[in-house]
Amino acid sequence: MKIVDGLKLIENGWIRKPKGFRVRFHKQTEAGVEAGLSPPPEAAPLNSDVTAWRYAWKLWQATSAAAKTGEPGALYNITVVDDQDIPFRFYGSGEFETYNPKHIHDGSGTTTGDSDEA
Amino acid sequence: MESGLSRLQKLGETMTMHGTQMVLALLVLIVGLLLAKWIDKGLRKGLRRMVPTSTLIPVFCNTVYIILAAIVVSAAAIEFGAKPINILRLLTIISLVSVGLIIFFRPFMPTMPFKVKDTVKAGNLLGKVEAMTFLNTRMRTFDGKTFFVPNRQILNDIVINYQYSGTRRIKVDVSIRYDQDLLKAKRVLEAIMTEEARVKTKPGPMVYVLNLASSAVDLGGRCWVDNKDYWVARCDLLEKTKLRFDSEGIQFAFPQLDLHINHDRSRAGGSGRPTPGGLMGVSAREASDEENI
Repeated sequence: MKIVDGLKLIENGWIRKPKGFRVRFHKQTEAGVEAGLSPPPEAAPLNSDVTAWRYAWKLWQATSAAAKTGEPGALYNITVVDDQDIPFRFYGSGEFETYNPKHIHDGSGTTTGDSDEA
Repeated sequence: MESGLSRLQKLGETMTMHGTQMVLALLVLIVGLLLAKWIDKGLRKGLRRMVPTSTLIPVFCNTVYIILAAIVVSAAAIEFGAKPINILRLLTIISLVSVGLIIFFRPFMPTMPFKVKDTVKAGNLLGKVEAMTFLNTRMRTFDGKTFFVPNRQILNDIVINYQYSGTRRIKVDVSIRYDQDLLKAKRVLEAIMTEEARVKTKPGPMVYVLNLASSAVDLGGRCWVDNKDYWVARCDLLEKTKLRFDSEGIQFAFPQLDLHINHDRSRAGGSGRPTPGGLMGVSAREASDEENI
């Protein structure tokens, strides 16, 4: 195997480099709870997980009071996902973290939001 | 006296014959130039709103303004009685001479080693280039101060253009204690840089052992990012390095000095105080008996 091929193998198989980050959440509305992403899928993602986690934390701080009472506008299960919508580990702890966790039935027989908050 | 009177008479006759034309021509010139200026301002404002990042706006607007001014002057001349064909000839000659002069003197004109909106360091100033004229360059430093630097001074000094190339290297230098796992530290530091979204894969991140210093092993992480991402990516990498090293149990080194106090009074001259100069004159066996604090 040539060095070039070996380097390609390492690049593809060792550490996956995300192309961007978004904050994923469930939003309480008048009609119920709906999933959302920020920035939305049609917009460019954030290029830094540090920025994305800071943004997620601020969203959590801004909506934690509303989340306790369950009023419209409250955000649950706030977490950071990569460009493939896969949850991304918090760089500070190396763990998957979710702010305002809440069990929500998404219609596919699964529930989300069972991880602990930061 | 008579010649003065005749001159005044001639002027009066001229004014009677061409006065209306002159006033009209002057009016066309003034109104036309004001209108051209107004169009120029509006065009600049509109284009800046539409394409805020373009650096070609001033060039385009200046060209439009010159064309408008030429049209206004021609219209005023025609109003005064000049033949349009002569005006056209004159304008053609002026433009050809201008182009010729520019082409001839272009190699002798000093060019600035940066463009508008580049981040540069010229002399002691680090900032963004906002505008350039023939005489000076307007620079805005990152703390919000605006400097007007003479071009002559810039051309005589060393200039660092941080945006001449598209990418820039980040240095993540850390020092770990001698009792830490060196290979683990290298692996963790390389992983931090590799998984960072903004770090380029080619050339890939590298970690080197830079130095075996007096109280630390110095590691140097090197990776490349786009110029625009340099500062924030560097700060993020340093933050991640600190946190990941903490969570992996890798301890950073800090400057330290081992002080050995000799409690043996007889060898210390009977005073009971520490020997000046520490262990400088003490043998290895004696040193092993001493208390290490």
